[in-house]
Amino acid sequence: MSETILITGVAGSLARHTAQALADQGHTVVGMDYRPRPDDLPDDMVFYQANYNKTRIEEAFRNHNPSIVLHLGRVGNLKVHLNKRFDLNVIGSAKVMELCLKYKVRRLVILSTFHIYGAHPQNHIPISEDDPIRAGQTFPQLADAIQLDNQAVTWMYKHPELHIVVLRPCNVIGPRIHNAISRYLRSSPKPYVAGFNPMWQFIHETDLIDAIKLVTDSDTIGVYNVVGQGTIPIAHALKLTESTLVPIPALVADLYLKVASQFKPAFPPYLLNFFQYPCVVTDEAFRDAFGYAPTCGIEESIRSCVDELTP
Amino acid sequence: MGFFDSLMEAVVDPEVEAAFDTLPHSVNEMGYDPWGFHPEHAKTYYSIARQVYRYFRPTLSGIENIPEGRILLVPNHSGQLPFDGLVVAVACLLNAKPPRICRAMAERWVPTIPFINEAFSRSGVALGDPINCRNLLEAENAILVFPEGARGCGKLWDQRYQLTRFGRGFMRLALQTETPIVPISVVGAEEAIMSVYNAKPLAKLFGAPYFPIPPHLPLLGPLAYLPLPSRFYVTFGEPMTFEGPFDDEDERIDEKVLVVKNKIQEMINDSLAARERVY
Repeated sequence: MSETILITGVAGSLARHTAQALADQGHTVVGMDYRPRPDDLPDDMVFYQANYNKTRIEEAFRNHNPSIVLHLGRVGNLKVHLNKRFDLNVIGSAKVMELCLKYKVRRLVILSTFHIYGAHPQNHIPISEDDPIRAGQTFPQLADAIQLDNQAVTWMYKHPELHIVVLRPCNVIGPRIHNAISRYLRSSPKPYVAGFNPMWQFIHETDLIDAIKLVTDSDTIGVYNVVGQGTIPIAHALKLTESTLVPIPALVADLYLKVASQFKPAFPPYLLNFFQYPCVVTDEAFRDAFGYAPTCGIEESIRSCVDELTP
Repeated sequence: MGFFDSLMEAVVDPEVEAAFDTLPHSVNEMGYDPWGFHPEHAKTYYSIARQVYRYFRPTLSGIENIPEGRILLVPNHSGQLPFDGLVVAVACLLNAKPPRICRAMAERWVPTIPFINEAFSRSGVALGDPINCRNLLEAENAILVFPEGARGCGKLWDQRYQLTRFGRGFMRLALQTETPIVPISVVGAEEAIMSVYNAKPLAKLFGAPYFPIPPHLPLLGPLAYLPLPSRFYVTFGEPMTFEGPFDDEDERIDEKVLVVKNKIQEMINDSLAARERVY
């Protein structure tokens, strides 16, 4: 059945390709972002440029009356000032949820992140959806992401008619993804923290798009971790990229990132803990509820991310 | 393959390799389990550990008491550095029939120690956390846990061979997962590195739970931290099974913990009485 689907964040690669995949299935897709319309968005796709916290976003709801909303537009980019991220992620997401309620949307998918669990020396393995959200202890910069997630989960129970599902994917990588971790995998030489080699998980963009399609087609509510195949130590993953690795003592790395992040889109300093301590999550619940099965092997995912960078 | 990888392979002991190869390992296609255990890398670390094991010339008894399937191995803890854990782990790999890989539960500061954290996780050590422990027991592993924790390991010379307070976690997990407990006594570790004082400010500086000061430190300097070649006597007791609710009141759990603790103390005392040579 053809539905009208509103997707936020389509100026980013993941949302854009999800939009494309759903349009290809015959759905009517309406795109939205706080950034300008991307050049490669199909000409026939309606696009609204609006900050999620502004009343202008209601136009999209009023004009198209979507039955499904995919809120994939969480701003993870630390270049965006903390206040603006708070406006977009916390106030904006609340606005999106209110409008979903007002316009009787029957399915709302919210893309959160596994970063909110935080990498911590005392993390047990694996982390499930019921485990504590630890990131706030060490990285106050993630407060907006944590609040977005909490808000979504509260609304999930408060408004069952919205059929909210919250996805917490691990590191999303792929040839078309431009997030911090994909950029890092493509960079050379690669610094990493000397003496630490925690286990990491990755999910290929196509697996995550499939996961989003799976939840779009269903009415099951819940909070779910989403991971790809396999768990490997970070150094092993970096070796697969065949670039030069530079071990750096933790203190030096911390200082460098703090300075570098002021000048260019470097790795966010708060992610340094992920280079020292594990944050291994389980997606057993997601597999059980939706029959999800990732198809991209971990080696293949990493290689594809590095090899074929396309717009 | 890099120089380091070749070196890693070169030190592999054939007996360690043979023992590893007889075992089924639940690892992913890259050879890792979710905790970071990697049997191929572990062969190297266990081979190095075996050299340390030989240095202490352990006398083992009762190792045939280790049953198949899930099991909690519970020894006393002593000796400032976890040589007791190392000796028990190597003994379980090379002398238990069939060989067992001990999944040791590590102290909370271990994951923060550079390099050591990696060697430990590749060898099968996991953070001592109830959820880690339960997951590993449900996968039918042998768990090596020291209920005394750092209290036991860092004890001073004048408290040697006296057990310190046992935690309750291992007993709750044994009840919850219906796991038998094998009590183990290790005698000899107290004489390897002796400590007469715990330098707390230094411990705080390194984020360690304690910082031992050996009596001969003024004489030998840092060399005083090298372990002396004491002989280890390791006794594996018969498996003990407990019944009851795992979420019982602390007092009820403590009664059961005391049974294990008393058993281990009795085994230590027997071992000490029978010991002819310390070095």
